[in-house]
Amino acid sequence: MTADSAVQPGARQVADRALARGYGAAWLAALAVSGALIGLLVWTLGAAWIRGVGVWGVNIPFVWGFDLINYAWWIGVANGASLFAAILVLRRHDLRTAVNRFAEATALMAVVCAGLFPIIHLGRPWLFYWVFPYPATTELWPQFRSTLTWDFWAISTHALVTSLLWYVGLIPDLATLRDRAPTRWRAQVYGLLALGWRFSLRHWAYHQVAYRIVAVLVLPLILVMQSTVAFEFASTLVPGWHDTRLPLHFVTSGLAQGLATVLFVAALLRRTLRLERIIDDADMNLLGRLVLAASLAAGYLFLDEALSTWLSDPVRQRAGLERFTGTYAPFAILAFLLAVLVPQILWWRAARLGFWGPVLVGLSVNAAVWCDRFSLLIGGLQRGHLPSLGGTYAPTLTEAGLLLGTLGLFAALMLLFARFVPVVALYEVRHDEHQERT
Amino acid sequence: MAPEDDPSRLERLERLADDPALRRRIRDCFPDVVAAGPLDRRTLLQLAAATLAIGGLSGCDDDRVVREAPLLSHPELPPGRAGGEAVRIATTLDLDGYGLGVVATHRDGRAIRIDGNRRHPASLGAADVFAQAEILALHDPERWPAPGRPGSTGSRTAGERQLDAWRDALRGTRGGGAAVLLPPSASPTLARLLAALAAALPEIRVHHWSPLAGDDAAKGAELAFGRAADLVFDLREADLVLSVGGDLFARGPGRLRHAADWAARRRDGSRPLPRLLAVETGPSLAGLRADERLALPPRAIGPFLRAVLADLAGERRADPHPAAARFADDLRRAGTGAVVAVGAEQPAETHALAHAIHRRLGSVAVRPIAPLRPGGGSASILALGEEIAAGRVRRLLILGGNPAYDAPADLGFAGLLARVPESLHLGLTPNETAGLCRARLPAAHPLESFGDSRAYDGTASFRQPAQHRLKPCWSAEEVLARLAGEAGEGRSALAETWRPLWAEGFDTRIEAALEAGVIEGSAAEPLQLTWRDSFDPLAGPTAARPAGGFELLLAPDPSVLDGRYADNGWLQELPKPVTKQVWGNAALLGPATARRLGVARGDRLLVESAGRRIEIPAWPLAGHAEGCLTVSLGYGRTVAGRVGSGIGIDAYRLRTSQDPWITGAAVTRAPGRATVISAQDRFSQEGQPILRLVPTRETEIPEPAPQPSLYPAWPSGAPAWGMTIDLDSCIGCNACMVACQSENNVPVVGPEEAERGRLMHWLRVDRYEVESPDARSGFQPVPCMHCEAAPCEVVCPVNATVHSSEGLNDMVYSRCIGTRTCSNNCPYRVRRFNFTDPREGPYATPADALNPQVTIRGRGVMEKCTFCVQRISEGRIAARLEGRPIPDGEISTACEIACPTRAITFGDLSDPQSRVAASRQEGRHYPLLGELNTRPRTTYLARVEPGSGS
Repeated sequence: MTADSAVQPGARQVADRALARGYGAAWLAALAVSGALIGLLVWTLGAAWIRGVGVWGVNIPFVWGFDLINYAWWIGVANGASLFAAILVLRRHDLRTAVNRFAEATALMAVVCAGLFPIIHLGRPWLFYWVFPYPATTELWPQFRSTLTWDFWAISTHALVTSLLWYVGLIPDLATLRDRAPTRWRAQVYGLLALGWRFSLRHWAYHQVAYRIVAVLVLPLILVMQSTVAFEFASTLVPGWHDTRLPLHFVTSGLAQGLATVLFVAALLRRTLRLERIIDDADMNLLGRLVLAASLAAGYLFLDEALSTWLSDPVRQRAGLERFTGTYAPFAILAFLLAVLVPQILWWRAARLGFWGPVLVGLSVNAAVWCDRFSLLIGGLQRGHLPSLGGTYAPTLTEAGLLLGTLGLFAALMLLFARFVPVVALYEVRHDEHQERT
Repeated sequence: MAPEDDPSRLERLERLADDPALRRRIRDCFPDVVAAGPLDRRTLLQLAAATLAIGGLSGCDDDRVVREAPLLSHPELPPGRAGGEAVRIATTLDLDGYGLGVVATHRDGRAIRIDGNRRHPASLGAADVFAQAEILALHDPERWPAPGRPGSTGSRTAGERQLDAWRDALRGTRGGGAAVLLPPSASPTLARLLAALAAALPEIRVHHWSPLAGDDAAKGAELAFGRAADLVFDLREADLVLSVGGDLFARGPGRLRHAADWAARRRDGSRPLPRLLAVETGPSLAGLRADERLALPPRAIGPFLRAVLADLAGERRADPHPAAARFADDLRRAGTGAVVAVGAEQPAETHALAHAIHRRLGSVAVRPIAPLRPGGGSASILALGEEIAAGRVRRLLILGGNPAYDAPADLGFAGLLARVPESLHLGLTPNETAGLCRARLPAAHPLESFGDSRAYDGTASFRQPAQHRLKPCWSAEEVLARLAGEAGEGRSALAETWRPLWAEGFDTRIEAALEAGVIEGSAAEPLQLTWRDSFDPLAGPTAARPAGGFELLLAPDPSVLDGRYADNGWLQELPKPVTKQVWGNAALLGPATARRLGVARGDRLLVESAGRRIEIPAWPLAGHAEGCLTVSLGYGRTVAGRVGSGIGIDAYRLRTSQDPWITGAAVTRAPGRATVISAQDRFSQEGQPILRLVPTRETEIPEPAPQPSLYPAWPSGAPAWGMTIDLDSCIGCNACMVACQSENNVPVVGPEEAERGRLMHWLRVDRYEVESPDARSGFQPVPCMHCEAAPCEVVCPVNATVHSSEGLNDMVYSRCIGTRTCSNNCPYRVRRFNFTDPREGPYATPADALNPQVTIRGRGVMEKCTFCVQRISEGRIAARLEGRPIPDGEISTACEIACPTRAITFGDLSDPQSRVAASRQEGRHYPLLGELNTRPRTTYLARVEPGSGS
């Protein structure tokens, strides 16, 4: 069986896009815009590197600003998306044909964006490697009680597993691209990446096992990663943060965020790459329902937050009240509205299947989680244990560049992914089409 | 040094190495190295590095200094001190003409620190913010580099030629057409030199001006006794103090002593708690700590005091304030133990009323003395103004001060000064006056010159250099001596003054006085005063007339005083004790008045008085009297260097010679808002036990029950450093903050960074309102708590903050990568982060002012209070070398030493005899936020507030 004959019409459509000669004006324009945003990111990071994190609006007590807000947010995107992809692989769900690949890609690109922040948020970022457990001449090991050390392990494991999941799933398709590559140069690149895949049954059997093992690895990781990020806040003595429910809050809202991102990207790909046949209405229907369910779960946790604040000790009550009524209250309210109320439009089938419904919900839930992280990191810090502690936080333009810049980086990586790698798994499409014929 | 190829040198070293005495000494000094036996690689490298470092350090001697004479006057100081060793020099710093005895620490050619002189009556070992900040003024890089006309590059001889030209010109006219303007001073030497000048140049005119040196107190004494007098209070003997305006603890020459005596009396368990009452316009430090406080508009204060006196005299008046009878009862009960302290800004009648109350009660804690500092008030500078306007002044010599900025607005001094054909200004740095003078002469800093001064009680003390002069400069004494035809070099002017007084044994006495810094037994004799019977203090209203419009009270600023410290970064960035404002001033007003005007903090107010107007941000303040404004002077300087120019609003523009302190004003809201920066936003305790109050000194606060912890308890080794802060003694004066800043090289960040909330103070003083109808407050200094279960330590991923064996929470700057997590996890929020590079920018502390014992932190690194770990190390090394334990009190932190009320106690908790261990045994002892189980090593003693819950 040669790869050529195996490529079915639907699959060919997808594969051809990766191998096409031209790039298309829209793609180039989008890449240019995201490239410009990457330029902004480089400038922002350069400013923080050369002049210090003082170029941001951070201060005492608001020692973390957009750096950690964006970190927690990108982790949410990455986590939700990879959890979703892993579940699909494990359950061998029909939907995985359609969305697995870009769910994995979304996760990976988001991890790349997230992974920047633990380094660049440091006062002395060039020394980031000091959190690695390496045999330094100072004979000093990392402090294993620190949540930041846990975070280092969590983010590196997450990056590793997410890229494995994405890459393992990609290997057969890389082989297809190798076989169909129009130039020798491309064939060599794809061939190298395909790791000698020969479409043998043995390969397929190993591949399935490997893919599912990696997918299983993802499951605990998701809980661990989000929880570790949440621990960075929950384990401190800050009254607005010191809360055992925080990890659950992060996991749940992160899941809603990741699913919404997948929904958003699916709608976008369906429209722009004309993949209606592959990502069909049933897929969109199911995805929409999942997002709706996740947002209801997030809503439950928002209410739980209000309730547990109300039931807690006066110091925490005051911190919570300040968060929901003080200077930064709009972020808390927006988080609830955008994460819980807007996704309710998905109760309507038309909204789930259309283009604008998923786009709106995807953007809205993502904005909501960003607002929620802002509300927690900034709003939750307004009240400490001593009443004298106060002050305000106002992000600087340079700081806003961090968000825009990583959005650009994410977009650029996704654009390159959509252009050079099949956005849905070719072998799954072949499998589906084969089943349809028989 | 001998030539390097001299073989005999090496041989000598060999012989020296074999010397058994030296070997014994090496074994004593470096037991680790000797015990290690044969060198391993690490030790060899360490020794090699140490050798290099020692070799390098020997080149660190400051070669900018040309040592004409040994720095110190006292001969017993060993001349061959080791480099880097601290030398302490007793000297005197002058504030507004009165002396404060201080001890300057000199290291490696530079004076780097000011502490109080224990032997000096105005200090008792404490130093206020201004004295300590003089270090920054001494090393100000913007000090005049050279004498001469603006722009010229003069040398020492050029300056001398200039002075000689003045002397010759003045001699030619016998001083005719010439005038000297200088701030009034209690200095005997300055007085003698002025007399010598008048003798040499009989026609020269001497004028005095200092914006804060008023003459109302003198006039009040004249009303009552027919002659001027200063009052000296002994608050240890005072059972009741009534503070009327001003600020007993923060203003006036006896401020530190007042606070010290009041606190000592409060601590004295054998005597009843003294009572402190206050009647004032805006909250003062004394007022906030009072047992009862009354906020009145400025013009109602005099009538109120008269009503109190009337009540004491048994007269029944119809209209007095309801509190007057209460205050009178308190005074009557205190009887001879009562003291009435009137602020310098109060009119003469109010001062006279205080004299009348003292007389009626027979107060024993008040001692009148002959006035020490004549020449207050604005009459003298008005006379100078008239002379200039009449064209009779052809030469004007201004010895210090800044009259072009701070002279009365109705005088127009800047315009007059420009009309003087020959004018010379002696000053440290460029200022408004120097810019208008034809020529300038760089002034020597008080820490670079000889002189003398008198304390609030008349005790004389000597001023001597704590550092060699790096550039040509002259002191006022030297200039006057030179013009009067004396030698004036070095200490000769000082010696000239005291030689006739100490005819016998002059040489030993002057050396002893220079070494002690204070002349024992030189306090002024009490004055016998007779009451002027023609004066009836009760003649006058006992209730304020209903005021039309606003009253405006102009006050010296707690940070920059009258503007002379506007170019001092430490003081500009020092949160004002009450408002906590930094980098600027504002118009303080009562909350109801603010509501009536419709203004919130930062809204602009247009203040108009006698046709002059300023626009200034409003600052509503609980506890401020209604219907009036308090505006602090000293801001809005236009020529105050990189630090002080253009900061705040100049209130001198409203200040006239007629009403220098209290005047009527029209106040309206002006469009727009101004940036005002505050270091603390909330002053309410919100029902939490943060600043605790107890009803009596003996109240026991229950110890918090020990809570379980996942981590083992910190082993209590020895020594175990700890600190207690007595909130009953703390008056919120900020002396500890500047002491810490100076000792630990704490950076100044500037207004932009301060506005962003990036102040760097390692020690802050929180103010909390005490629940009371009269808006009183308490102060709580918050340094690092050095928690035994430190939350910051467990969250640092790189072990940059760890516990030491002596229980310190150490910060290892070189390990810090700047995650800032530790700050998040510190419930006391005492950690500070270097968001920008502290060594760069206009606010960077000049290198010469830095303490060489303390690391300079870099950008991106966390820092915080170390319990002055460098002092602990120094003490430990000294004790170890001498093979003795460290006695209690030998090691003290900078904040502890500076505190005028001795509120801070530092020491070894493992020594049950130590003062700190004893104070932890007191019933009032409590840990801040003890419920968090952080087990802090810094703890507090609750404030005693009769009638409070516990």
